Amino acid sequence: MVTEDTLSLTPRSWLQALAKGERKRLLGSALCGVLAGSQTIVVVVGLAWLIDQLVVDHRSPISLLSIFSLLLGSVLLRAAFQWGHETLSLEASLRIRQRARAQLLDKLSALGPVWLTSQHSGSLANQAVEHIDVLEGYFARFYPQLRITFCLPLLILAVAGWLDYLVALFLLLSAPLIPLFMALVGMGAERLNHDQFVAVSRLSAHFIDRVRGMTTLQLFGCTSAAQQDVWYATDGYRRLSMRTLRLAFLSSAVLEFFSSVAIAVVAMYVGFGLLGYIEYGPSTALTLFSGLAVLLLAPEFFQPLRTLSQHYHDRAAALGAAESVVNILNQPSLVSRHHYMAPRSDRSAIELKAACVAYPSRGQVIGPIDLTIQQGEVVVLSGASGSGKSTLLALLAGFIAPSAGKYRRQESSRYAWLDQQPCLLHGSLIDNLRLAAPEASCEEMFAALHRAGFGPLLTQLPEGLDTLIGERGVGLSGGQAQRLALARVYLSNAPLVLLDEPTAGLDQETEQFVMTALLELAQEGRTLVIATHHPAVIAAAQRHLAFEQGELVEVAS
Amino acid sequence: MMAIYRDFRPWLLLLVRRRRRFLVGALLVWVTLIAGLALLGLSGWFITASALTGIALALGIPARLDVYVPGGGIRFFALMRTVARYVERLYNHNTVLTLLADLRYRVFGHLTRFDDARLHGERASDWLSRLTADIDTLDNFYLRLLVPPLVALLGVVAVSLFVAIWLPGIALLMAVTLGLLWLVATLLAAAWGFSHSYQQVVDQQSLRRLVVDQVQASAELMSYQTTQWHRTMIATQEQQAFNNQRRLGRKAAFINCLVSVISGLMVVTVVWFASLVFNQQLVTGPVLVMVALIVLGVNEAFIALPASFIKLGASYAAVRRLNALTIDSSSAAPVVMLTEDVDLSIQVNQLSLRYSQTLEPALRCINFQLPAGKRAVITGSSGAGKSSLASVLMGRLKATQGEAVVGGVPTWHLSVESRANHFAMLTQQVDLFDASIAENLRIANPTASDEKLWEVLKAVALDGWVEQLPKGLTTAVGEKGQQLSGGQGRRVALARLMLCSPQVVILDEPFAGVDAATANHLAASLDQWLLNRTVIFFVHQFSSLNPLPGVEYHWHLDAGKLSQCALK
Repeated sequence: MVTEDTLSLTPRSWLQALAKGERKRLLGSALCGVLAGSQTIVVVVGLAWLIDQLVVDHRSPISLLSIFSLLLGSVLLRAAFQWGHETLSLEASLRIRQRARAQLLDKLSALGPVWLTSQHSGSLANQAVEHIDVLEGYFARFYPQLRITFCLPLLILAVAGWLDYLVALFLLLSAPLIPLFMALVGMGAERLNHDQFVAVSRLSAHFIDRVRGMTTLQLFGCTSAAQQDVWYATDGYRRLSMRTLRLAFLSSAVLEFFSSVAIAVVAMYVGFGLLGYIEYGPSTALTLFSGLAVLLLAPEFFQPLRTLSQHYHDRAAALGAAESVVNILNQPSLVSRHHYMAPRSDRSAIELKAACVAYPSRGQVIGPIDLTIQQGEVVVLSGASGSGKSTLLALLAGFIAPSAGKYRRQESSRYAWLDQQPCLLHGSLIDNLRLAAPEASCEEMFAALHRAGFGPLLTQLPEGLDTLIGERGVGLSGGQAQRLALARVYLSNAPLVLLDEPTAGLDQETEQFVMTALLELAQEGRTLVIATHHPAVIAAAQRHLAFEQGELVEVAS
Repeated sequence: MMAIYRDFRPWLLLLVRRRRRFLVGALLVWVTLIAGLALLGLSGWFITASALTGIALALGIPARLDVYVPGGGIRFFALMRTVARYVERLYNHNTVLTLLADLRYRVFGHLTRFDDARLHGERASDWLSRLTADIDTLDNFYLRLLVPPLVALLGVVAVSLFVAIWLPGIALLMAVTLGLLWLVATLLAAAWGFSHSYQQVVDQQSLRRLVVDQVQASAELMSYQTTQWHRTMIATQEQQAFNNQRRLGRKAAFINCLVSVISGLMVVTVVWFASLVFNQQLVTGPVLVMVALIVLGVNEAFIALPASFIKLGASYAAVRRLNALTIDSSSAAPVVMLTEDVDLSIQVNQLSLRYSQTLEPALRCINFQLPAGKRAVITGSSGAGKSSLASVLMGRLKATQGEAVVGGVPTWHLSVESRANHFAMLTQQVDLFDASIAENLRIANPTASDEKLWEVLKAVALDGWVEQLPKGLTTAVGEKGQQLSGGQGRRVALARLMLCSPQVVILDEPFAGVDAATANHLAASLDQWLLNRTVIFFVHQFSSLNPLPGVEYHWHLDAGKLSQCALK
């Protein structure tokens, strides 16, 4: 049922797999970055030569027009490569995020309603939207920059070596330090990020905790004390985190130090060499051109690393987001991936053969159950809460695949679902009805709403079917929402209707209405399976199944 | 433009209050920038001077160059740049965190004035989930949008003035070009990306809603086999969002290119004009090189600007949302006080309540009277309007029509202090804070002694449980009281209530989540504590699990309508 490869995902392997899908663009972006960097080399070396010609050889500017135009060309070329670098990685990151989000949403579908109801929908949405978007920085900036950091310094080293091998040697000696410093910066940044992340989220949690409990704070009249408390908590966090930051910021200071020292050392070396104070190796051959060029190349040598360290938090953030997403991707799917087998008999709607349900965390919860529901039957399930009737209903609905035994249902048969808290989509009445039947016409919708007793309400709605309902629009009461859900059942024309406590928590009028509607549906010849403990519903059913001490028994009516 | 400024204004004023920190922080960044430029410029000067001196010496012309002062300068600037960078980061981070405390303090202050309709309204989950992120966005405003452009501007002034010592014409050219560059990197970027980055936030919210729908409606989507239909909706929305992001990203890339081209062209142009001046021997070689290198390095102040400014629209979206929260909560607080030590009766006259955005009233024309010191029960299923009625009675919601009067005063007009002193309510959803048991209890009475805490814990039959906890009263209850079971949480909340001495008490499902024996224990303790207080119990239904002591009145609530019932 569950393939092992999905279980073994780690945040890193997932990010790598995502990068693989856009390898060409990402590499292209890195290549453009290196080419842009090489144009910078041309600019600084050209500038050094130009100055040498002007100052030392006293050539007139007019005679150097070709160099000036070379510089102009390089400046423009550099901008073009920069454009390529940025747009390619942008495109790659967009496509990667699209793919990652689709993967996550697929997984949510495969996990099914049973798993999803145990989760906080807001935090799942966070993962599918914000956390996936966080990957942007990693793929658009960090990933190509890491490749640039491996190539560009080598190129600069080569040019510097051609100009003056002592300077190149100096840079080369610091080269083994680069991985060291990268690790140092990495660790620093990682620790900084991690500490900050933990502290910031704890602090945000504290703040949200107080906001969420505002009712209680108001009731006890201690809002101003809590407001002071919010300030002190944040300020206390500031004092605490400044202590760790003192260390963590050292890593960025080290990089700054390195590029400053490189300039200083090269300047001193070149200066003394040109004055003739150093008579060793290539220093006697130093000219203003080569000296100036290596001086300008020295900071460029460290620039890719500095840029990388600026993007380092993108990596940490992406890893954090990937971790939470991978946690979901690694959950074993509850919904069967296979198509349903058709029942043995044409007359049955659903057949269960020695079917069991087991949750990974709780083991087997119900089963083995043998049950055949004939088309047109009205079946009620009863039992104390927690006895397993909701699980059985979920099994019948296909929300959870049997861990053992067989589940057979008419292939591609649509069925209707109604539970005690009908879901309202953030959208118009039309959107909410289309949920049951995307192709339905407005007339059909009107008819279904009227039949569900929503008619009088509809006339009050300012924009009729286009009225937004729910959080962004008109609020519906529990009873009104249940009528809307009933309209979905009518609209779908599904021959099989599964209902989980459809009358619980309703006002008396709506409860009566829903009861009548259920009887009507039964008379139409639809198959009804209802989990309920409402005596009147049980009395109206043809078959009554009850959970007693974990066993499903048929109660004679 | 003015509207945008007006929305930002209250938050900018908050930043202005810390202007000294702000200016010092900007100054430190500026020093870092200048030290870097000085290092590069001085190095260029030194190399060129050395080269010329070296050539002169080689030709046998007597020449001298003081190497100690420039050498010391180079070392000094190298060190200064490192130190300034370190101090700057530390200092500015400190400022950012101070601002965070200010911002949260301010926003929290606004939220304390919310009534129940806004705290628990349907949109509550929406703003709550974005609240900290929005505040963080504003917090970042300082480091990303205020300091860098100021530093860049100061850098332009300093560099131009410095160059003007030798080459006033070129300095003017530089000032104009860099000013132009500054405008491109800030204003042009902001204006160009504004609608896209604003749209990006809107798109993200729409996408979020669609995903929440997919999760919440998963049962319906699966059974009606409309998952694909819904996924198509998500894909369309996502595509639209990505098209917008693509356009934004390309504009950002273009502005980055523009900044790169302008600064590159400026270097070439400055060198060209400087070489003309040099050719006429109006300026020396070392100075020419120094100017060229400074111009080469100055673009560092501009590199990060476009990326920040192109996202101004996103900051604006955050500000708009925060403004929506903090607006119209400044209405004058009610000030009427109840007289002390008078028994309070409850009288409800023709009370109706209708939430904005709903079609039907939550409460319809409710009338009842409860004499002082008596106890009543109101039954009703969930959604019948119990919580709404409780909120109106407590003065936490304004009735649409009619009023709830306690002790002769409409509760909506009572001051917050008066309500806190005279009323107490066990809410349906109890709030425990991420703190210790003792701290949670002392919310009701900060001065309560440990003995008093044990007393109330005993009243709710939790003393034995707390005693056997290793940390006793100082045990943390976790976020939202998650370390406690639902029943324990309610009992802690009930114990907390017993630390106050109100005249009117409302208990919403006081026995939810406890077994019959505990319910009886609680009932006995409550009976004692409720003596001489006016009490209303709200329960789902009468049952042996709801032993309501001393109740003399019973009303039933169904779909917002109240009816009198006979007491069994």
